[in-house]
Amino acid sequence: MSSEERGAEREVPPPHLWVRGVHKRFGGVHALDGVDFEVACGEVMALVGDNGAGKSTLMKVLAGAHLADAGEFWMDGKQITINSPHDATNLGIQIVYQDLALCENLSVSANLSLGAEPVKQGWGFLPRFLRPIDELDMERKAKSAIDSLEVRTLHSMRALVGTLSGGQRQAIAIARAVGTKSSVVMLDEPTAALGVAQTRQVLGVVKRLRETNHAVVYISHNMRDIFEISDRICVLRHGAHVGTWRTNETKPDEIVIAMTHGIDEKVN
Amino acid sequence: MNLIHRLREMRQNRFGAFVPVLLALAAIWVYFGLAVPLYEHWTNPDSESVRFIFLSARNIYNLFMQSAVIATLAVGITIVLLLGDIDLSAAATAGVCAALLGVLVLAGVPGWVACLMVMFVGIVMGAAQGMLVAYVGIPSFVVTLAGLLGYQGLMQKILPTGNLNVGDPFVRSIARILIPDLWGLAIAGLVVVAMVAVVLRRQAQRREKNLETDSALAVFPQVALFGILVFAVVLTLNSYRSLPLMILLLVALTSLVGWVTTSTPFGRAIFAVGGNPESARRVGIDVKRIRVAAFGIVGLLAAIGGIFGASRFGSVSYTAFAGGTLLLESIGAAVIGGTSLFGGRGSVWNAILGALVIGSLGNGLDLSGASAADKLMFSGGILILAVAIDALSRAETGGTGR
Ligand SMILES: Nc1ncnc2c1ncn2[C@@H]1O[C@H](COP(=O)(O)OP(=O)(O)O)[C@@H](O)[C@H]1O
Ligand SMILES: [Mg+2]
Repeated sequence: MSSEERGAEREVPPPHLWVRGVHKRFGGVHALDGVDFEVACGEVMALVGDNGAGKSTLMKVLAGAHLADAGEFWMDGKQITINSPHDATNLGIQIVYQDLALCENLSVSANLSLGAEPVKQGWGFLPRFLRPIDELDMERKAKSAIDSLEVRTLHSMRALVGTLSGGQRQAIAIARAVGTKSSVVMLDEPTAALGVAQTRQVLGVVKRLRETNHAVVYISHNMRDIFEISDRICVLRHGAHVGTWRTNETKPDEIVIAMTHGIDEKVN
Repeated sequence: MNLIHRLREMRQNRFGAFVPVLLALAAIWVYFGLAVPLYEHWTNPDSESVRFIFLSARNIYNLFMQSAVIATLAVGITIVLLLGDIDLSAAATAGVCAALLGVLVLAGVPGWVACLMVMFVGIVMGAAQGMLVAYVGIPSFVVTLAGLLGYQGLMQKILPTGNLNVGDPFVRSIARILIPDLWGLAIAGLVVVAMVAVVLRRQAQRREKNLETDSALAVFPQVALFGILVFAVVLTLNSYRSLPLMILLLVALTSLVGWVTTSTPFGRAIFAVGGNPESARRVGIDVKRIRVAAFGIVGLLAAIGGIFGASRFGSVSYTAFAGGTLLLESIGAAVIGGTSLFGGRGSVWNAILGALVIGSLGNGLDLSGASAADKLMFSGGILILAVAIDALSRAETGGTGR
């Protein structure tokens, strides 16, 4: 298996983003109960666990969508605070939500620039929101974002998103997250609704993110995908951290047992 | 099934969205312009020659003038339809503004000052409803229904007699001034040359920046069709009278609103909110302010429609605006033009074509002596057809969860 070869030559680098003892309660539900988690640059960290284990909640805390009740957050050795989506964006943490939140009635390039369209020079007498959009610049940026993810099936930046396949949409949502300066990209079940070919496409994009030295957090229920794509696997259960394994040193059975029963032994 | 699929694909591209409404317009013109006169000629042994009244330059001139007020309102309504909202109060707003205009000029306020004042009032009337929709969270259907009732009452308060003559020379001149024939042709020429220049320049820039280009085969027939239409309209109007200033103003206004909606970050935000409000919110678009602004624009265009109407009729009456069919005609025009009631798709130019469809239908039925009842039933049928096309062409590309 390719993951084993890769693991053999790869040392796990020092963590880029690092959290300790994160707690998050929703009323009576203890969604996160002192979770430890880390991810390094150039690494795909799979985040697995049963439904309700707290995976999405952990991601949302990291993206600033939920405020943690307690916990320490570190990035590159410095302590950080994440109190809002704005904080997370400034730190380069981007999340691709399960619902992609794309505008199907707009083109690929319009979606990628939405809310921050480049405008033409020489219209300074108008307020920015009434200056003409530099469509060509917008398309060029979209093209380079899509090309850097090597999405080969997507040719036209002017195609409406509503006409595209699920995999292509997922790729666009990822490209949008990556396009704004980002070092951590978190994907919440990106392949849950996709067929085989579409899934391959998304896995290809995730590999590209690793090659471009992003720290990738990948939530999925599909063991085959996880063992193909990830460098390490972090298991959550009932809102707590069960353990983290190097992918090439474990087996799907072991992960499934950790997900369902917890475990006694852990690595790192 | 195949037809629906084709329809859906067609509506995906900007030019294709014009096709259904252009076909509807062509069908109506062929029916009233050719089929009806020929049928009458052949079935009536006394008639010596075919009388093409509908397609006469004089009738087409009147048709354009009749449709101008509907079109102005429809352009505004298109903006809120793009957001996925609706405005039932535009015609009543136009009525209040026209009545106010009449009262102001009667009181001696100069015509142009009065026009600016009612335009401001229109914006306030629209934006107020927008705030109720955006900040209080009342559905636009209810807010503007209340607005419709309230503004109708307000118009009756301003015009207790229900009627007022507007003799102000500035106001009257908007509908009376004709652009000299040669100037009209020069303007048409300029517009076509400008369009060709823009298309060529864009293609060159695309090639230079190594972006995908449109095939010349797709672009040039469109430009040619556009040029032929522009010249045909101006020549027809010239052969009866001349290009009226009001039509020129309407086209300029539509170009401006069209440009804002398709080419600026503000317009992009309108489409984004209509397509997926959650997506718009997440990228930091202030959805509420966009809503208020859009309703303000409808109010402005309604006021301008009111000014156009007062100018054309030389009077303001309750039935011509708030109490009449203008409301349904203008919403119908926007929808028949192909702007989706589900939000996020459409164009103000389509609203102009939709207004022509509605106007032609009314005009043609009038000429063939149909009753008001027939007119209403025909308009209803066309409206249902337009909305059915909208719903069918959306069915599978949709799923934005609205
Ligand atoms: N916004 C919320 N309000 C209340 N409870 C929530 C909320 N989000 C998540 N939860 C609860 O927190 C727990 C963890 O949920 P989640 O993080 O979505 O799990 P996972 O993504 O691993 O399936 C679940 O019990 C869920 O019901
Ligand atoms: Mg989840």
